[in-house]
Amino acid sequence: MAPRNSALYLGGTAGLLALLAGLLTGSGLAVADARDELSRNARLVRELELTDLCIFTEAAYTRHPAVTDLATAFQDAPASFEHFPSGALVGPPAHLTGNHVGSH
Amino acid sequence: MIRVRQITKTFNSGRPNEFTAVSGVSLTVNLREVTVLKGPSGSGKTTLLGMVGCMSRPTSGRIFLGEREITSLSERFLTDIRRRTFGFIFQRFNLINGLTALENVMAPAYPSGERFSSLRARALAVMEMFDLARKAGARVEWLSGGEAQRVAIARALINNPSVVIADEPTAHLDTRLSHEFMAIMRRLKEEGKTIILASHDPIVHDTDLADRVIEMRDGRVIADGAGR
Amino acid sequence: MSGAIERQLHIIDFTVSSLLRRKGKNGALLTVYTLIVFILASVMFFTHAVKREAALVLRESPEIIVQRTLTGRYQPIPISYVESIGEIRGVISARPRLWGYYYDANFLANYTLVVPADQQPEAGTIDIGSGISRVREAFRGDTIGFTGHDGKPFAFVVNRVLEEESRLLTADLILMREADYRAFSGIPPGYATDLVLKVRNPREYTTIAEKIVKLHPDTRPIVRDEILRTYDALFGWRSGLVIVIFGAAVLAFVIFAWDKATGLSSEEKKEIGILKAVGWETSDVLLMKFWEGLAVSLTAFLAGVILGYCHVFFTSAALFAPVIKGWSTLYPDFRLVPFIDLADLVTLFFFTVVPYTVTTIVPSWRAATIDPDSVMR
Repeated sequence: MAPRNSALYLGGTAGLLALLAGLLTGSGLAVADARDELSRNARLVRELELTDLCIFTEAAYTRHPAVTDLATAFQDAPASFEHFPSGALVGPPAHLTGNHVGSH
Repeated sequence: MIRVRQITKTFNSGRPNEFTAVSGVSLTVNLREVTVLKGPSGSGKTTLLGMVGCMSRPTSGRIFLGEREITSLSERFLTDIRRRTFGFIFQRFNLINGLTALENVMAPAYPSGERFSSLRARALAVMEMFDLARKAGARVEWLSGGEAQRVAIARALINNPSVVIADEPTAHLDTRLSHEFMAIMRRLKEEGKTIILASHDPIVHDTDLADRVIEMRDGRVIADGAGR
Repeated sequence: MSGAIERQLHIIDFTVSSLLRRKGKNGALLTVYTLIVFILASVMFFTHAVKREAALVLRESPEIIVQRTLTGRYQPIPISYVESIGEIRGVISARPRLWGYYYDANFLANYTLVVPADQQPEAGTIDIGSGISRVREAFRGDTIGFTGHDGKPFAFVVNRVLEEESRLLTADLILMREADYRAFSGIPPGYATDLVLKVRNPREYTTIAEKIVKLHPDTRPIVRDEILRTYDALFGWRSGLVIVIFGAAVLAFVIFAWDKATGLSSEEKKEIGILKAVGWETSDVLLMKFWEGLAVSLTAFLAGVILGYCHVFFTSAALFAPVIKGWSTLYPDFRLVPFIDLADLVTLFFFTVVPYTVTTIVPSWRAATIDPDSVMR
């Protein structure tokens, strides 16, 4: 006799839940494993005085968004769009757009 | 014994399209008998069956099932009584397309929470009675007219009701299948079921099976007498 | 008790059979639903992991950086500023920092050149990030040629390739000795790229920044909090544009799902009537609709989240690569530490599973309360 629909459905859902629980447990373990790596990287940041993650290397304002200036994105003309696709993902940092002592 | 006392059913009350489908009907249905409601369409047979079968409540009047007055019960109790006491066979069968014959037969028993294995065994046993065991796994829309009719009857019997109600059961059947239906009703009567049929088909109301024939017109009973 | 469970199981049996009747339509709905959860979950996992990693490593970044601006752009800063700024109360030390960019026209790649404060490489040697090593196929002992600011060729021997594990920070770095960097980049003597300050008390950041601007109106101080906040907002502000486009797609799905979930066809209404007529209560019908909504939305949620997790953390967000990569040649492999925010997951659950289930049940309410005798009429 074929299994009942409810058994198939609940079994499938339980399987997915177990898989998700497994992944989340795995993520917890991986985070614990990465602690040393992260603290080595943090030390590197201190030694090399780094300010940014190396995610978008195509332009200064996407490579180092934290230390960029507000005008960089508009190097050619104040109204021009940015050249790079990453410009759609990286915004100017808050301290440039907000009212802050360092804003220019 | 089912006693109906002065019941009236008015639809769309207070609106311009108000109409009274059943007005001031009183009758008594004896257990283990076949009662036939006869009359043209629009005479109030279906509405009366619905109220007797606990599907809807009368606008006024009372219905007694045994000693119990059922017109004032809540929906929950009414549903419970309907499920335990009545089995319905509809015009056009009203099977649920896309499901198998077995699932259709089992559906009325789902809310009872009966164990799957025993429910399935009972459903198969009922289907066996009507020579449907081979068709248990088939989708109902693939069944022939006669098979679909027998599935509808099997579904009406799955909760082992004491009263079987059929509304115009032969309206969509040819003569051979209509006679087959009546043969099944005869078997059920012999098993001790109370049967209430509503029909304007002579095959149903001109049968020796009928213990009583009640004739209706315009929502009223115009004749009430013993069957042929 | 077992009766109550058995009743649920029966109704699930019925619901699943009922869903399987329209395999194509419900399958398509489930697929699109899963895809949407997958995209949302992927964005969520990716941005959270990047932000978390940024927050953990960049909290060691310089406390205050002082830039000089001229004609609206930042410019080399005179090293003489170190003295006056170093005398501000609360500043422990101020140090000129040298760094900049180099565009490699042969490989169409941008590099970041950094002169470390301590342990500078030997003269004529450099340390390179793993990304540069990969693109230029250069390893320890190899010689790399660059063109200096004056058009003269410069050759450096690779002393070391920076560890792969730090690629999210160093993939495009070239570490160089100060003298080499000045000769190569042409930054004039007496000037540096910016200044880096150490401060006694973090609460004095703002006061010190104000004093610096008063002292040298052409400078711009950036404090560490601002650096960290940059990464908090990294995928927030402008990703709005992406979200708008994606939002249109989600809206289309919502309309589709709404129509599917709420638009009870006359066939479905008739079925509900039949079920009521054969002995189902209103609550049984609503329970069936609840399971129907849950079966679709919970399955889509679980499958979407699992796929999103695998996508981001096992395939390094392969599907996002074309978007994030853009035109960069030095694209680091995002093997991110799988930081998960459970609150995010719960939010996603409430935004996907709950609305769909509710929109499945609510419209059935009216149909479920019809008189069972309606099927006889």
